[in-house]
Amino acid sequence: MDLKGISGKRPQLAAVVTAYKKYLHPQHVVDRFLDGYGWNGTYHHPEMDVVSLYVDQRGEGDLFQERAGRHPGMKICPTIEEALTLGTSKLAVDGVVVVAEHGVYPLNENGIMKRPHYEFFERITGVFRTSGRSVPYFNDKVLSWNWDWSKKMVDVSQELNFPLQGGSSLAVTWRIPSVEFPLGAVTKEALSIGYGGMTSYDFHGLETIQCMVERRKGGESGVEWLQTYRGDAFWKAYEEQLWSHVLMKAALSRSSTLRPGDASFTNIFPTVEQMKTMVPDPVAYHYQHRDGLRSTMILLNGMVRDFTFAAMIDGESKPFSTQMYLPMPDGRTTLANFFSPLVYNAEQMFLTGKAQYPIERTLLTSGLLIAGVESAKKNLRLQTTNLAAINYQPNPKSTFWRN
Amino acid sequence: MLTRRRFVGYSALSSSILACPPLLRSTLGQSPSGSSSSPLRLAILGSTFRHGSNLQTIADRFLVGYPCEGDWHMPNVRVVSVYIDEHIRRTAAGPTDFQLAITGQTRKSRVEATGTASDLSEARAKQFGFRLCQNIPETLRCGGDRIAVDAVLTIVEQCDDYPYQSNDKGQMLLPRYDFFQQCVEVFETEKHSVPYFNHKQLSFSFTEARSMVETAERLKFPLMAGSSMPVTWRLPDIDIPSGTRVQEAVMVGVGSFDNMDFDALEAMQSMLERRKGGETGVKAVQLLRGDEVWAAGKAGRWSQDLLSSALSRSDTPLGLTLLDGRNQDLVGDGVLPQLVKDPAAYCIEYADGTKATLLMLNGAIRDFNIAARLQSGDLVSTQFFMPPAPNETYSACLAEKIDQMFQTRKAPYPVERTLLVTGLQEACINSRFKLNQRLETPDLIMSYQSLARSQYGRT
Repeated sequence: MDLKGISGKRPQLAAVVTAYKKYLHPQHVVDRFLDGYGWNGTYHHPEMDVVSLYVDQRGEGDLFQERAGRHPGMKICPTIEEALTLGTSKLAVDGVVVVAEHGVYPLNENGIMKRPHYEFFERITGVFRTSGRSVPYFNDKVLSWNWDWSKKMVDVSQELNFPLQGGSSLAVTWRIPSVEFPLGAVTKEALSIGYGGMTSYDFHGLETIQCMVERRKGGESGVEWLQTYRGDAFWKAYEEQLWSHVLMKAALSRSSTLRPGDASFTNIFPTVEQMKTMVPDPVAYHYQHRDGLRSTMILLNGMVRDFTFAAMIDGESKPFSTQMYLPMPDGRTTLANFFSPLVYNAEQMFLTGKAQYPIERTLLTSGLLIAGVESAKKNLRLQTTNLAAINYQPNPKSTFWRN
Repeated sequence: MLTRRRFVGYSALSSSILACPPLLRSTLGQSPSGSSSSPLRLAILGSTFRHGSNLQTIADRFLVGYPCEGDWHMPNVRVVSVYIDEHIRRTAAGPTDFQLAITGQTRKSRVEATGTASDLSEARAKQFGFRLCQNIPETLRCGGDRIAVDAVLTIVEQCDDYPYQSNDKGQMLLPRYDFFQQCVEVFETEKHSVPYFNHKQLSFSFTEARSMVETAERLKFPLMAGSSMPVTWRLPDIDIPSGTRVQEAVMVGVGSFDNMDFDALEAMQSMLERRKGGETGVKAVQLLRGDEVWAAGKAGRWSQDLLSSALSRSDTPLGLTLLDGRNQDLVGDGVLPQLVKDPAAYCIEYADGTKATLLMLNGAIRDFNIAARLQSGDLVSTQFFMPPAPNETYSACLAEKIDQMFQTRKAPYPVERTLLVTGLQEACINSRFKLNQRLETPDLIMSYQSLARSQYGRT
C-alpha cells in the first residue's frame, strides 16, 4: 500500500456509488465528506476532498449534479477507472469510498439483490494493479452477495496490502446506554432483536451481535453451523427456548419503539400471543460459534423499529444489554446521523492508513447473511465450514459513537 | 375568588373537606414505605386520562411497568385510587339533574358525552381494580374516612375538550397548586402526610410554587417535581463535571410558549446546578423575540459558538435537509433567520455570573440540545434524547425516579430545581408581557446543592 499523499497533503478520494438520491446510503455517506457533519460538539469538515464520483445508476431524483455544482472540485466520471485515475493513466487518488447499497439490480436464486460491491472492487483493484500501488478502501455494509467474492475481496486486500474497512453503522452508532462489551469477557449466549427483512436489515442485526461478541475471551473463533427459523418454526423454537427468553426480554426492554400489543397503552411489554399477532414473519438466524458461544439474530418486523442487543456474561447476575441507536429519518429525525460515526471511522482509516476494525468482522457477517438466507430456503441447519475458518481479534479500542 | 380558584368551583372538594372528621391520625395503620414488601398504595390525580396524555403515559407505568436498566420493571406499587378533573368539569358543564328532568333528557354516558372513547380511566379502573373518585379527598381516603394511600402522583395538564383558562400573559392556569393544596388540607386534617410528585412546573405562579415547597418542608413530606428531560438519556452520555466553574450555556429547543420551554429550562438547570458553589440563584432575566434574538447573538449576549456546538448535536435540521437530506451547518451557513420566523431567547443571568440562554428555534430543528463553556474553555455539549411516541421512554426514566422517591421517601434530586425553573419561566413570561424588558428577579436568589452523582438515564 502506498501512503504517499496521506501524510503530506489533504487526501483526495474517489467515490464509487450505485445511486445518489435522497436518503440512499451513497447520499448519506458522500454528503458527509462533502458538506461535513456534527461531530464531537462541533460542525466537522473532513480533512480530505472527494475529487471524483462515479454513479452506476442515474435517473429521476438524482442529487449528484447538485452536489457537484456546489463542490466543483468533485468531477463526475463516466467510468470507475476515470474516477480513480482522474483522466491520467494511473491511480491518482489517496482513497476510495464505495457505497454499493441501494440501486436496483437483479436478485439471485435466494432473493439477495446482486449489488455490485464485487464488480466495483474488481475494477478498482484493477487500477491498483496496473498502477502498481493501492490505497485505503472503504466499502459500505456487506462485502458481496456471493460468498466466494466476499472472501476474494478480503484476500485481494491482503495480497495488495491495502486497508479494507466495511460493515454497518450499527457497529459504530450511539448506544443507549453507552456501554461496551467487556474485553475478554466470557459469554455463552448473545442475541440481537431488530426489524426489517432478510437480505437487508438482517445484516445490521448480525453486525450488532458481532461488534460486541468479537470482544469476548479468545476473540472470534468462527461459526460452525447456522439454522434459520421463520414463521411457525420461529415460535416453536421460541417456545422450546432455543434462545434465552431472559435475553429476549432484556433486549426488548432496551427498545424505544416497542409497539403496544394493546392499542390503548403506549408502552407495554407484549404477551407472546400479541407478539404473534404483530409479527407476521418473525426471523431468527441461530448459530453456533466454534468456542461454544450461541448467537441468535432476531427480526421482529412489525413489533420494533430499532436494534437491541443482550448477552449473558459469566459472573454477572443480569444480562448485559443496550440499544444500538439509529437516528432514523423515517419521521423520527431528518438526518440519518448513524452514518456520521461510519464516515468518521472511514476518515480515520484514510488519515492513518489503518482499518479501524477488522474486515474479518464484515466477512463473517456477510457470510452469515448468505448462510441465513440459504438455511431459510433449504429449511435445514447449514454446516458453515467457510465461516468456521474466520477467526480474528477485535480492535481493543472502542470505535462506537460516544463523544 | 372563584375566578382565581378556577378548580375549586368545579369540584366537590369543599363540602367533602368540611364533612371530614378531623384528627383521625391514631388509626392510620400504615407501614412506612420501604420497610415492608407489600405494595405501596398510590393515588393518582390529574386532569385527563386520554390516550397519549402525560398522565396516561406516566400513570400506566405504575400499572403495567416500564423499561428500566435492561429489564421490564414492575414497581412495587398498587394504584388504588384515581381522580380525573375532566370528569367533574364535564359534569359541571352539562345539564343538572333538574334540567334533565324538566326537558325529559337522560344523562349521556361519558363516551357519548365526549364523542370519543379516548378517556381510558374507566377501562383502566375496571382492568386494574382501582377506585375512580369524585374528588381529591375521596381519592386520598379511597372512599373511607382517613388517608388510605402511601403516595400521591399528580399530573395536571391542559385538557382540550374542557380547557383551563389562560391569563392575559398567556399562561395556562393549570390547577397544580389547587390539587396540592387539597391534598395538604387532608394531610393537615389528619396530621399525616405522604410523598407527593407533581409533574412539570409546580405552578404558573412562583409565589404559589414557593408556598408548596415551604408546606412540604413544614409537614415534612417528600415533594418532587419536574419533567422528564433532565432525567432522560443523553447523546452523548455526558454531564457538566460536578464542582466545575461554568461561563455560559446555550440550550436550543422547540415547542410552544409556556409548554416545552419549561422542560428545556429545567434540563439546562439540571446541568448548570452542578457548577462550582452549587446553585445560588438568578438575578435577572430577559425574553427576547424576533430580530432582537439575532442581534443579541451578534452583540455577544449569547454565544454563537455555543449555539453552533449545541446544533451540532441535533438530528433534526429542517430547511434544505428536508428537501434533499443534506447535512447543514445551520450557524455557519447563516440560514437560521430564514428558517426561524419567531425566535425567542430566554436570557438568564445567574447570581454568580454564569449566563445561560434558551433559544427556542421552531422551524430550524425538532430536538433539544445544549452546549456549555466551562471556565477551562472546554465545551460540553449533548442532546437530551426524547424517544418518539408512542413509547416516549423518556418518561420511563422519570417514572423510575418517582418510584424511587415513593419507596425511599427521599426525592432523588432537589425540588428547589423545579421551584427555581418555575420562577424562571414565569419571570420570562413577565418579561415578554412587559415588552421584553430585562427584569430583576430578587425572588429567585435562592441556593441549593445538587448531587455529585448524575441522575439522568445512563444504565
